[in-house]
Amino acid sequence: MATKDELVYAGEKGRFTLYTGLCKGCGLCIEKCPTGVLDWNDVLGVYGTPSVLPVAKGKVCTGCGICQQLCPDCAIKVERTRAG
Amino acid sequence: MEFAQMPKCWRKQTKPHKFCPGCGHGLVLKALGMAIDELDIQKRVVFGCDIGCSLLAWDFFDVDTVQTHHGRTTPVITGIKRARPELIGIAYMGDGGGYAIGSQHLVNAAARNERITAILVNNTNYGMTGGQMAPTTLPNQKTETSPYGRDVEEMGYPTQGPEMVAAITREGAYVARGTVARFKQLQGYLKKALENQINGSGFSFVEVLSGCPTNWRTNAKETWEFIEKDMAKYFQVGELKGSGGKEG
Ligand SMILES: Cc1ncc(C[n+]2csc(CCOP(=O)(O)OP(=O)(O)O)c2C)c(N)n1
Ligand code: SF4
Ligand code: SF4
Ligand code: SF4
Repeated sequence: MATKDELVYAGEKGRFTLYTGLCKGCGLCIEKCPTGVLDWNDVLGVYGTPSVLPVAKGKVCTGCGICQQLCPDCAIKVERTRAG
Repeated sequence: MEFAQMPKCWRKQTKPHKFCPGCGHGLVLKALGMAIDELDIQKRVVFGCDIGCSLLAWDFFDVDTVQTHHGRTTPVITGIKRARPELIGIAYMGDGGGYAIGSQHLVNAAARNERITAILVNNTNYGMTGGQMAPTTLPNQKTETSPYGRDVEEMGYPTQGPEMVAAITREGAYVARGTVARFKQLQGYLKKALENQINGSGFSFVEVLSGCPTNWRTNAKETWEFIEKDMAKYFQVGELKGSGGKEG
């Protein structure tokens, strides 16, 4: 069972949660993020690889949810911030 | 723990699952899980996995599960379906199991129009045993047993599974080829393949183009490129039968 460790990044458009106990560091999400905001970070995932967060400099997370959809391990949850 | 982002029918206690980082099996089983959730059929599903990496899914779902020998997942699920027609039988296998070692089972179940749903993961190699050449290995693709690339003169052409199944099934069958790179489309195909069984229309078959980064020795960028460019060029993605004509 995965650990409960969560990394949260609350952006303007969405709230991004990464479950370190599920992330295997494959990088598939980084390649598919349309804005290029996803990047590696120092907190290690379940296999001791870097995990990911939407923190690349100068880029913005739009809360589109593509990374959540394409993570084979369901390590990402994106909740869109309601507009208005 | 909640894990709201996971399909409801995934067995949470067994996650992280046993597939390699970036393995396409995880995405196929996620799309399948979402289709099962959407149709609200978790209690009626029996899931069969094969020998090969698909067997790593033996504890993947919170549904009754059986694991069989290469390609035999199809007749085992057929037997269960015949004995208990109210259940929804899913036979899940790899390309080595389904198109080579146990291909007779796929061919005969399709020809007999068995009311089951077969899902075959095409990753162009024998994943579990270390990346040997499979029926689906692309022309010129290097594998452990085709180190100079697959020479089609010597080793023949890759199997076109859905095309074959579409040709030998009757009206009422559902046949499609999806890809993990188009997740929503794949989820839709798997849902239709399940509905086709629920309606009793006939055999349902979905092949899925999927990644095996461990044996391909690819990084994330190369993995997507191989699935979306190389594989999709040879294996055309779309519905081949059972949705009122062809669809891209
Ligand atoms: C009769 C028999 N022959 C060979 C094997 C060894 N074997 C185990 S898995 C496998 C290949 C499976 O490949 P595939 O069906 O493509 O699934 P993948 O692992 O790629 O998902 C083989 C040949 C076996 N277990 N039994
Ligand atoms: S796709 Fe999932 S497992 Fe892979 S690096 Fe991204 S979050 Fe981690
Ligand atoms: S939600 Fe969209 S923009 Fe934000 S990190 Fe994920 S893929 Fe990138
Ligand atoms: S060997 Fe390939 S198919 Fe098997 S789990 Fe690893 S990546 Fe997936």
